[in-house]
Amino acid sequence: MWSMDTRIAWRNIWRNPRRTALTLLAIAFAAGLLVFMVSLQFGSYEAMITSAVGLHTGDLQVRADGYGEDYAMHLVVADPEAVRTVLAREPEITGTTCRARGFALLASPQRTYAGMVMGVDPDGEQAVSTLSRIVRRGRFLRPDDVNTALIGEVLARNLRVNLGDEVTLLGQGRDGSIAATVLVVTGVFRSGQTELDRSTVYIPLSHFQDVFAMRGAVHEVVLRTGRLQTSSELGRRLDALVAGLDMRPLLRVRTWFELMPGLLESIQMDLASSAMFHLILIAVVTFSILNTFVMVVFERTREFGVLLAMGATRGRLIRILMRESLLVTLGGVVLGLAVGSAVTWYTQSTGIPMGDAGRLMAEYGLPERIYPRLGLLSALLGPAVVFGLTMLAALFPALRVRRLRPVAAMREG
Amino acid sequence: MPVLLLLVILVFPSFARAEPTAGELVRKGLEYWRGTTSVAEIVMTIHRPDWERSMTLKGWTRGRSDSLFTILAPPRDRGNGTLKKNRDMWTYNPKINRTIKIPPSMMAQSWMGSDFSNNDLAKSDSVLEDYTHELQAVDIRDGVRVYTVSAVPRPEAPVVWGRQELVVREDFIILEQRFYDEDGVAVKILTGSDLQIMDGRLFPRVWVMRKTEVQDEYTRMEYTSLHFGPDLPDRLFTLNALSEVAR
Repeated sequence: MWSMDTRIAWRNIWRNPRRTALTLLAIAFAAGLLVFMVSLQFGSYEAMITSAVGLHTGDLQVRADGYGEDYAMHLVVADPEAVRTVLAREPEITGTTCRARGFALLASPQRTYAGMVMGVDPDGEQAVSTLSRIVRRGRFLRPDDVNTALIGEVLARNLRVNLGDEVTLLGQGRDGSIAATVLVVTGVFRSGQTELDRSTVYIPLSHFQDVFAMRGAVHEVVLRTGRLQTSSELGRRLDALVAGLDMRPLLRVRTWFELMPGLLESIQMDLASSAMFHLILIAVVTFSILNTFVMVVFERTREFGVLLAMGATRGRLIRILMRESLLVTLGGVVLGLAVGSAVTWYTQSTGIPMGDAGRLMAEYGLPERIYPRLGLLSALLGPAVVFGLTMLAALFPALRVRRLRPVAAMREG
Repeated sequence: MPVLLLLVILVFPSFARAEPTAGELVRKGLEYWRGTTSVAEIVMTIHRPDWERSMTLKGWTRGRSDSLFTILAPPRDRGNGTLKKNRDMWTYNPKINRTIKIPPSMMAQSWMGSDFSNNDLAKSDSVLEDYTHELQAVDIRDGVRVYTVSAVPRPEAPVVWGRQELVVREDFIILEQRFYDEDGVAVKILTGSDLQIMDGRLFPRVWVMRKTEVQDEYTRMEYTSLHFGPDLPDRLFTLNALSEVAR
């Protein structure tokens, strides 16, 4: 059963039910809002990572050492089949596909633009990436295609080409020879990422290897693990594995966060700026609660004087006060956690439509609805901070009791 | 009498040979380099730390504005060509039988994978037209006076360099062209060497374009034959000729 102190604290709380309820609601509001906001943030980061990993990098990639610096044509994975054979033995790898990349002049009868040409394996991409899902007109590449092209929407518009039209490609092959071909547009894609839509053409890998004199080589072996969390540890282990192949050029394994450092940086930046915002929210709530607690102690100075005169120790008074704060704070945090989690859980299944902002978010490759992600961390982080700071705020007025002189205190109030 | 002799000795050199102006050095240097017309066969070697590649080119030039190059070897690239007229450039590929005009956005890019940019070719006369010239140094090498001309872009000129330097011999043979960025750092250096009599004219047979920021990367152009002054018809510098010249 409750101790005497707890029972006294409980009764004290209900001396002014309205004030207690307001304080409790303020805490609940802060805690609940934080649960939702943090879950929403985590959800949107997850969406960013999932879509970028799905479309661009895969979870991990095998590349020649130094390839990422300026995508030099001759830094190839010379024998991609050997790499895939070795990786096929890894239970954590659920899918692989190969890509090659070149920069070229892309010309229609009217216009010429510089662009990036990606050679992709039509079957492999469908198994491993979301590329086939961003085709807006026409169709995705097929395994028996030869010189077909899936072209970015903005690039297609700039070149003034449509489905069935020809695009001339002129670039430089792996050995420095001239790479030239005529492509037929069979599909137009839109990723929402301006850079990609404006400059990229996907063609079948086999045709790419022909035109760019790749002699069977590729530039990237894309790996999927089927898990959101890609550990650096797995990266290091696979790195040692492909290094064991002793291929020239030297191969390295890179995780998606090494391949897209900008993505992780922008997430960290967003995290830092939103942490600031959340701290301000918590500070406001904490100060209003501090105010309440100060009032409580101030009002009861006379009462405390009497209790002290009757022989109650200061320590016991502090304990009672702290227990009062604990009950209110805990009640608020639990209520906030419950309501916040319920709202989050509900929106997690329906998603939150972003309206106009959704179009903006499409620029970053995000879906137009965001789904909050309720997890242990996202649920408990905010309430825990609110709890800690509120208790700290309660401590300050409680400690005033230590300086009370019984006689002086009884004269007050 | 000795005073007069001394005076004559002191004054004589300036009588004997009037110093050319900086602008004159650049103009005559470019004219000497290109001739009125020229036909040349060149072996171009692109060198990188881990690979090297050579190709044989045939080129026709007329004045400072027109030129036509076609690849003779390796066989895989045979027939690929570049036509330059004034400051426009086209490229032709025989495999797909198409001619593409190089867009402005690609002019700063490498020409056929070499250390020369499209602009280096298309704007070869830019150092004369877009720059003001100043004589920077005169020294004597192998008994020949060698002038260093500093060229600073005119304020409104559409150029990418902060400054250029030309090293020109007194007989107007250009020995070196240095390209500086806006911070005054040399970015690319084109050096001529192996002066030989080619078609009756003293000419640097080997040209090397080197980027200064990387080690062991350069493009070497070696003239295997060179003729000045042949009569070149107008139709040689047309898109039709570009696609037909290698056949």
